[in-house]
Amino acid sequence: MELASQSDLMEKLAILTDAAKYDVACTSSGVDRKGKGHGIGNSVAAGICHSFAGDGRCISLLKILMTNHCVYNCSYCQNNCNNDLPRATFTPEEICTLVIQFYRRNYIEGLFLSSGVIDNPNHTMELLFQTLYLLRTKYEFNGYIHVKAIPGSDPRLIELTGYLADRMSINLELPTADGLRTLAPCKSRQAILRPMRQIQNGIRENHLLTSHELMRSGSRLPEVVRLSSLDAPRKRFVPAGQSTQMIIGATPESDYQIIKVAESLYNRFELKRVFYSAFVNVTGSRDLPATTGGPPLLREHRLYQADWLLRYYHFEADELLSESQPDFNIYLDPKCDWALRHLEHFPVEINRAPYQTLLRVPGIGYVSARRIVAARRTNRLDFSDLKRIGVVLKRAIYFITCSGHTMYPIRIDQDYITRQLLADRTQIPREIRQSGYEQLSLFDDNRYAGCAP
Amino acid sequence: MYTYICENSIDGILTGIYTAYADRHPLRDIHLSVGDGMTLSLFTQYIEVTPDPVKAAKVANTLKSRFGQDFYETIYQAAMSGDVPGKSTMDKADAIFETIALALSSGDGTGTLLSLGEPCVYRVFELCRATGREAMHLLGFVRFQELENGILLSEIHPKHHVLPILGDHFSDRLPEENFMIYDKNRRLALLHPANQHYFLADAKDLNMDMIRRFSAGETHFEQLWITFFRNITIEARKNPHLQSQMIPKRFQQDAVEFQAEQQRAASFY
Repeated sequence: MELASQSDLMEKLAILTDAAKYDVACTSSGVDRKGKGHGIGNSVAAGICHSFAGDGRCISLLKILMTNHCVYNCSYCQNNCNNDLPRATFTPEEICTLVIQFYRRNYIEGLFLSSGVIDNPNHTMELLFQTLYLLRTKYEFNGYIHVKAIPGSDPRLIELTGYLADRMSINLELPTADGLRTLAPCKSRQAILRPMRQIQNGIRENHLLTSHELMRSGSRLPEVVRLSSLDAPRKRFVPAGQSTQMIIGATPESDYQIIKVAESLYNRFELKRVFYSAFVNVTGSRDLPATTGGPPLLREHRLYQADWLLRYYHFEADELLSESQPDFNIYLDPKCDWALRHLEHFPVEINRAPYQTLLRVPGIGYVSARRIVAARRTNRLDFSDLKRIGVVLKRAIYFITCSGHTMYPIRIDQDYITRQLLADRTQIPREIRQSGYEQLSLFDDNRYAGCAP
Repeated sequence: MYTYICENSIDGILTGIYTAYADRHPLRDIHLSVGDGMTLSLFTQYIEVTPDPVKAAKVANTLKSRFGQDFYETIYQAAMSGDVPGKSTMDKADAIFETIALALSSGDGTGTLLSLGEPCVYRVFELCRATGREAMHLLGFVRFQELENGILLSEIHPKHHVLPILGDHFSDRLPEENFMIYDKNRRLALLHPANQHYFLADAKDLNMDMIRRFSAGETHFEQLWITFFRNITIEARKNPHLQSQMIPKRFQQDAVEFQAEQQRAASFY
């Protein structure tokens, strides 16, 4: 009897992990929370990776679905109701056991809980809430929880769940409303954006509340949170902020459209992260692009690079791409590409240029930029200092001077620098090169055919 | 020339620095060494330093009060490093000594650590970063197994002395657990009794038999984890090279999910 139920849990876990693996977000970052001295768990702002799966992606959270039953028929999703595959549903208790036992053994940093829509959105959201509630109260779990908000469920349920989670996310699924209409006829852009706005407002209000005396305003918190006598850290609403993801390459949007969408999500919805997921045709649907050459990994990689430029490097989407140049250069990263089109800003003098300007130099990351600003207060920096600081000189030397000199005699000439930068094979990460992308794309794009490595 | 030979520990190195200053030789004639792999030279006087917690604490307090907590922590973390490959072969104790001497000689030494152009400062930075990186990795890669008596046990093979960093992290995270982390390379164990402070203990006489008797549920949860680990991979994106780059082999040997993969691979032949 015992054995039967044990292998049952094993099977469920296999099914509901497999069903969750296409969700990208696995980060456990954004909250620094000390342990409570009892119970179990804490949270580290930088996030912690606990293992790496066979595809090289980080495993930080136990990423599972509550259930892979789903009433929707989104054609890109393997869990769509027309697909014939084994289905399973966890009980909240089962999930708690897995989380606590995995967490004690340091397999995971916390829980990432998503779900197919079983019966209706409200019922699904209720199951998610129950699981989190049980985990936070009965099991005194104080680690990281990322939970999905189900579009179309009662805003109150979403709110209650938000007080128990660290991060909430709602998947945008596809970059544009058109794409959504074609591939996910049961979902609407509106229904996705509404709870996203609600969570944004919740985070803002909670911020105001917690920055005042939290305890005095206790009566304004939802009843269930007060009753459960959760202590102060838990009264925070979605402290690690919200994120979303979209699928890249299932619909015909350009990179320009995609980063414009991402930019507006950052600016107008104050999202912490937007994730991009290279499309894999798992349903074998003939209406969708075949991914026989592998998922569009290089495109995904360029989008992530651009995403970092938006979040950490003060770039705007319109600086990187435009209607007339709607897609990223496959051979060069977006920052090098931008710099080559704006040689009038270069070279930059390392010992004088403001932080914001340093950020725009290829080969200088924000950590190096910060170190440069700190170090040049006491010393005049030269090229060997930059190397020690962590600047990638093979990219940076075309764009910088130290005390008025370039490292070698360099022509500030677009063709010359382009050729030099293209000779750097790390412009396309090794793992993507090895997956055969390079050979394919050499024929795709003949703009650089003459000078490609 | 005078070379002070210190014990390879934070207390050892700080005591060395205390003694070197107390002896009042000219600073440029002083070197410190943690001993191993040293070539002796003819005109040098070698002085063995016995670690003294009181003297070490005096130096530590001076560093904290004059240059701040961050400065001290960088020195501390550098002192915990083991072998660090790099262009510089500067002795750990010597790099720390020179860095501290540099900070003390410049009026406000708080910015000393930013002068990466100084070989000693860069060496300290390198050592500190190496320890920090390994500790950061191990916060995630440590795996506990539950023993018969409920104790959680983990075995690691770190290059650097990271147990104190792991101890701070895991006592905060798992306050109600009895756990032990065993550094096999140093034969040192970190012990955390439930709801108490952790401590380090010599583990040369560890009862290997006791730490092989696992609880009844242990295999079950290991199997569940391995099931999760296998199913989370997207086959279309399979990339073993990237995987090994992200979790280097030396960490894989102590992680149950990779041990399982190895056994599976071996059983094919």
